[in-house]
Amino acid sequence: MENIAISVKNISKEFKIPVNGQKNTLQERFLNPFHKTEYRQFHALNNLSFDVKEGEFFSVIGPNGAGKSTLLKIVSQIYVPDEGNVEVNGKLVPFLELGVGFNPDLSAKENVYLNGTILGLTMKELDEYIDDIFDFAELREFANMSIKNFSSGMQVRLAFSIAIRVKSDILILDEVLAVGDGEFQKKCYQYFQDIRGKKTILFVSHGLDSVKKYSDRVLWLKEDKSYEIGDPIEMVEKYSKTF
Amino acid sequence: MNRNDLDLYKQFVKTIFKMRYKGSILGFFWVLLKPFFLFMILYVVFSSFSSSIADITPNQYAVYLLSGLIIYTFFNEGITWGLNSIMERSSLIVKINFKREIVVISALTMSLINLFINFFIILVVAIFLGINISLLGVGYILLVCFTMFIGMYGIAFFTSIWMVHLRDLAHISELVLQLMFYASAVFFPVAMIPEKYRFIVEYNPIALFIQSVREALIHGEIVNLKFVLLALVCSILLVFVGRRYFKKNILKIAEYF
Repeated sequence: MENIAISVKNISKEFKIPVNGQKNTLQERFLNPFHKTEYRQFHALNNLSFDVKEGEFFSVIGPNGAGKSTLLKIVSQIYVPDEGNVEVNGKLVPFLELGVGFNPDLSAKENVYLNGTILGLTMKELDEYIDDIFDFAELREFANMSIKNFSSGMQVRLAFSIAIRVKSDILILDEVLAVGDGEFQKKCYQYFQDIRGKKTILFVSHGLDSVKKYSDRVLWLKEDKSYEIGDPIEMVEKYSKTF
Repeated sequence: MNRNDLDLYKQFVKTIFKMRYKGSILGFFWVLLKPFFLFMILYVVFSSFSSSIADITPNQYAVYLLSGLIIYTFFNEGITWGLNSIMERSSLIVKINFKREIVVISALTMSLINLFINFFIILVVAIFLGINISLLGVGYILLVCFTMFIGMYGIAFFTSIWMVHLRDLAHISELVLQLMFYASAVFFPVAMIPEKYRFIVEYNPIALFIQSVREALIHGEIVNLKFVLLALVCSILLVFVGRRYFKKNILKIAEYF
């Protein structure tokens, strides 16, 4: 029997969205002392369960507002579910965005250390990898330049080179491929090809072609909070028919 | 704390430190130059007041003034930066899970670094002005500063969370800190305050900390020892309680930014 990497059990998440914007200041509370803030209940996820097996490439598709990002944030332990629980076996690293913590005023090298430690690498490991990171990003001669002078493509290349150095068993990827030029996307796909089967991947994307191509199974979250899990080609086809 | 937590802490502190002097020609020299020139200005402006204090020489008054100022600055920065710490890192907190406490401690570490720089300059100034610095006095000052640091760390566990829910705290804290400044007798001697209002200073912990540092620095005397030790015990307790509060409330914080 295969091991379970991520086990999601009956999770529900509800957000209370203030109808007239968040009342975070005293003025707003004082001006309307008797007026209770009106909240609109928003069910992001409702009683969702699934398991991701070790080494599986598991994709999540669905329309905007179906709860994809919320799901990734719950699995990444950024949000806490209202009900149910999530079990993760192994080291999980979320890439909800490439280059988290990048500071535009710092040099590329300084940013590698900053972003790398945020992603869980130690300084010692980064000392070891730093040359490879710059070689892979093809940015060696720009190592001491502030990244505010980088093009967005250069920033993404640098961020990606750091990201692939992170030691993890489980990767959470959110629309990472939406950025970068064709050349860079090719590199990303090559990387996907390489880690398929070695790492567990939870992937969210609107790029249905890449979902079909790489996934082992697909979770389709629907607007009415029901869901289906199944074969990638079948799921993508069914989903495509809804629009 | 594991290896990565420690490295992350170092990176955060380094980044805050670097960002303060980025783009300036003198760069890190400002770390020393700015407080030095600030002290010079204050000394020139306020040295004329020294005659109103009976048992203090002009040189001692300079040190009296500066030591009060650096302790208040330490308090001001520690409280303000601690309060804003979580809010300032919101973009990071919604993207990745790491030990959130590191954000708070690195913000407070910055105030500690500033204190040490200022304290170093004040020691140099004091020696230059011919004041005898006693080792015991310096040791006592370190104890006072350590106590304040622990206390502010405990406070930051609460305020950093509250700040996310109630943004007015930024303005409220600024006013309270300004009030504390005048209630701490930084620029004027306690003797100048009318008797009936003197309790404000006598029961104000910041004023007591400042007084302890001043006496230790200028006369090498240890005053308010009982108060400082009591404050240390309370601060340690506050850290324990605050940490529990923080751990419980930080879990849902990402939803409130």
